[in-house]
Order: sequence, then C-alpha cells, then structure tokens
Amino acid sequence: MDWLLGNAIVQDIITLARPATFNIYFALVSIPIGFPFAVLLAVMKNSSNGLVSRIARTYIYAFRGSPLFIQFFMFYSLMLAFNLSHWKPMGIDHVVMHPLFIGPLVLILNTSAYGAEIFYGALRTLPKGEMEAAQAFGMNRWQIFTTVTWPNVLRLSWPAYTNEVVFLFHATALVYFTLPVINEQKDLMNKAGELFERDYKVFLHFGVAGLYFLVLSMLIFFISGLLYKRMNAHLDSAGEEQASIKFKPNYIR
Amino acid sequence: MLETLANWVSLNISEEAGTWFQYFSNGKHLAWYASVRYTLFAAVVGAIVAVLFGVIGAAARRSGFAPLRWLGLTYTTMVRGIPDVLFILFFPLAFEQLVEFVISRSACTAAELASGAWPPCDAAQWYLSTTEYLIMASVSLGIVYGAFAANVIHGAMNSVPKGQLESARAFGFTNRQIFWNFQVRQMWVYALPGLSNVWMLLLKATSFLSLMQIADIVLWADRLGAPNYFARAGLVHPDWRWKYYFVLFLFYILLTVISERIFEWLQRRAGRGMALHGAD
Repeated sequence: MDWLLGNAIVQDIITLARPATFNIYFALVSIPIGFPFAVLLAVMKNSSNGLVSRIARTYIYAFRGSPLFIQFFMFYSLMLAFNLSHWKPMGIDHVVMHPLFIGPLVLILNTSAYGAEIFYGALRTLPKGEMEAAQAFGMNRWQIFTTVTWPNVLRLSWPAYTNEVVFLFHATALVYFTLPVINEQKDLMNKAGELFERDYKVFLHFGVAGLYFLVLSMLIFFISGLLYKRMNAHLDSAGEEQASIKFKPNYIR
Repeated sequence: MLETLANWVSLNISEEAGTWFQYFSNGKHLAWYASVRYTLFAAVVGAIVAVLFGVIGAAARRSGFAPLRWLGLTYTTMVRGIPDVLFILFFPLAFEQLVEFVISRSACTAAELASGAWPPCDAAQWYLSTTEYLIMASVSLGIVYGAFAANVIHGAMNSVPKGQLESARAFGFTNRQIFWNFQVRQMWVYALPGLSNVWMLLLKATSFLSLMQIADIVLWADRLGAPNYFARAGLVHPDWRWKYYFVLFLFYILLTVISERIFEWLQRRAGRGMALHGAD
C-alpha cells in the first residue's frame, strides 16, 4: 500500500479530491437553476412581442459577447458596493457575499444566456407538420407546448446543451480566480496553483487537475448520452444514427 | 497639452466637465487606455498562431501516418475535456521551466543539480519582462484555440464538394495544386462561421492576461476602481470597481459587435464566385 500512497500522482489525486467537490458544487447548483432560466429566455426571444423579444435578445447578446471572467469581477464588485448600504442592514451579508453564493449566481446568469441561444435555435427548427397537426387537433397553446414544442426542443438541443454543461463545468475553474478564497475552500485550479508554488512541478499538479476535469467531463458526456438514447427511443432506425453523442467537438460554445 | 485641453474644457463647457476631463486623463487612466494594446496584441497574434496550429492540426488528422493522426486527434479533442484556462496557464509555466532546465544544465554545478530544488541555482532563473510574458500568453492562447480551429478546418476541408477535386484531377492538376488551389481555396467559406466562433472565444480569453503577469485592462480597472484616498484631497472616490468593470463589459461587447461585422464581410468575400446558397 505504501508504494501506492508514496506515488506523487496518487498523492495529488488524493489532495485534489476535496477541491474537486467545489467545482462539482458550482456546476451542480448552477445547472438546475440555469436550465429553466435558459428555456424562459429562449421562449422570450422567440416571442412575437417586440419588447419581450428585445429584452431577451439584449441579455443573451451581452452575456455571450463578454468574458465570464469580467462578469465575475463585475458582479462581485457590484455586490460589494451594495454590501454596507443593503446587505449588512438586512443581515444577509454572510450569505450573499459568500463565494459559494456569488459563484453560482454569476454562472447561472452566464449559462442561461448560452443555453437560451441553443434552445432558441431548436425552437426555430421545430417540425412544422407536428405543430400543424396539434393545432388541427384543437389543442390550446399550453398543450401544444407541453406535447409538441417542449419534447422536440429538448431532443433537438440536447447534444448542444450537453456541450454547454461541459463548458459550464470548465468555467467553474474561474470562480476562485475572481472571488476571495476563504480558508481551505479552494477549487481544483486554486489548489493546483498552490501546490505548484510549493515545488514548481507544473506537469504533475496541472496534469492531475486536468485529469479531474477530463474524467468528470467524460462522465457528463456519458450520462447525457444515456439520456439522449432514451429521448430518441421512439425514433426508428433512421434516428439511430444521430442517437449517440460522440466525443467529437462539433459544437463550440 | 492635456492640461491646456482640460483648462479649455472647464472654461468653455463647465467647471465640472473640466474636473472630469482631468480625472479621465490622469496618468493612471492613460495607462489604462494604453494597456488595451496588450489585449489587442494577444488577440491578433493569438489568432494567427491559432490558424497556423489549426491548419497543422487538421493536416495531422488527415495524415496517412497513423501516429501523426492520433497526435492530431489528441490535440483537437483535448480542449473538450479540460478547461482552456488550465492550458493557458500551463503552457507559459511549462515553457519557462523548459528554458530554465536547459540553462541549468550548463549554469549550475552538479551538486546544485542533484539537490532537487527548483530552480537549481540563481543563474538558471529566467527573469521575464512584460514583452516575454505577452508573447508567451499569445502563443498559449494560439495553441489552445488552435485546437478548436483545427476541428473547424478539418470539418471544412471535408465539406468541399468532392466533384470539384475530382474535376481538378481530371484536368491534370497535381496533388499539391489540388490541395492549395481547390481544397484550401474553397474551404474558407465553410470554415469561416466556425472560425468566427473561435475568434470570439479567443477574444474573450484575452481577459485572462492579468493571470499571466501582464498589467492589462482588467488589472488597471481594478486599480483605478479601488477606493481612492489622498491625505491632501481626502476621499477622491469610494469603491468604483463595478463601474470600471462595467466599462470593460461594454468594451468586450463592442469588440464582439465589430468582429461580427468583419466576419460578415469576410464571409461575403470568401464566397465570391462560388455557387452557394445565401452567398453571392
């Protein structure tokens, strides 16, 4: 057992296990909240109401057109500016100024813009025939949305959305470059940087941190692929070809 | 000259406008405006390196030699599993250590080399200036986004209609001529939408320069926005960081808008003389 624990790579894998949970936490909190928000924005952008559509359009453009790195700094300093005047008197400063709160907050704002663009694209390419059939059946708008629009949107956008989830997971690496580090609350990049400064073994520490990201990304692709297969279960052999998410970088964020 | 201008503004427009003019043209602000050059340099040089690596990566993936093909595949897929920021930080550090390692072989004594410390001796320490950091950062950006570009170019090369290449062969063009005059010439129109996306990613990644020891716009925004107190003048302004970051937020959106326009124009140009839908 000693020869195994004495190995520098194994040592690093053990040391970085706890920091990895911080990256997983940021992703796990941001995705379930960012997802419905993205759908809402996509529907808003697709709205026939000019004002609603414009608001969503501007939001999506602004958040996709600027670096997440700047967004983190901007929202953190914005929260800081309200700290003395608002958060402290309300007694919620411990919660809202915490990186574990601001981190997911900014990630949600960011990922919902990227997600919305993906869902919007899917909304535009819905099969017309199915929509018309639903209307012919006399369904109301909500029924059409739940039985035709939504399942199709989810199926069409799933590979691209998976890609976005992986990008979001990678984006969690930025959190502690921009927000204050409290005690031992460090994520993978942060801890890897700290280990690097101790002995300057750049290949070892960054390599193991990269390995964590790689393995977890593969896990996301794998789980998403299983779900995608289920989603396409009703399609015949023609659909089988597309019913697998390949580890192939087709989509760029 | 700036002082005369400030005086003119306060005399002819208003006292307040003059004060603001003076504030926005002080030394620190001028340094902030000037630091935009780092961002633009990193973006442009990074893009050139990225296209270069993209073509090399795509060529490697199409190579007939299997190990080279695997290398190309590894290079183009690595960016899918590992965050770009990790690579962007990793490459300069690794390169720096490589150089220091080479220097240490000749500069340090055997005892120092055996000690296991890093760097083994002071002579092997490579001190870098902003210029070197900037070049390393740009190349680093180029390598990372070159992997994205390689994917795009690989896909675009396959999109060139086979008939075009076959008729070129029938006309007696050599393989090299077919590759450069037909495949590469026609590839751009298929590659441009993807390359535009890569450029946007690269542009946004230039905000990481401050992580690589460069006093770029992000670092200056942070310095300028921090609460500014002088014993003589009192509190000049409280914490204004969010305002400065908001300016950067708008700055990057503006760059995105400009880039989109340029790529629309390029797309039209690349499609000249080709029978495509939506392009003339």
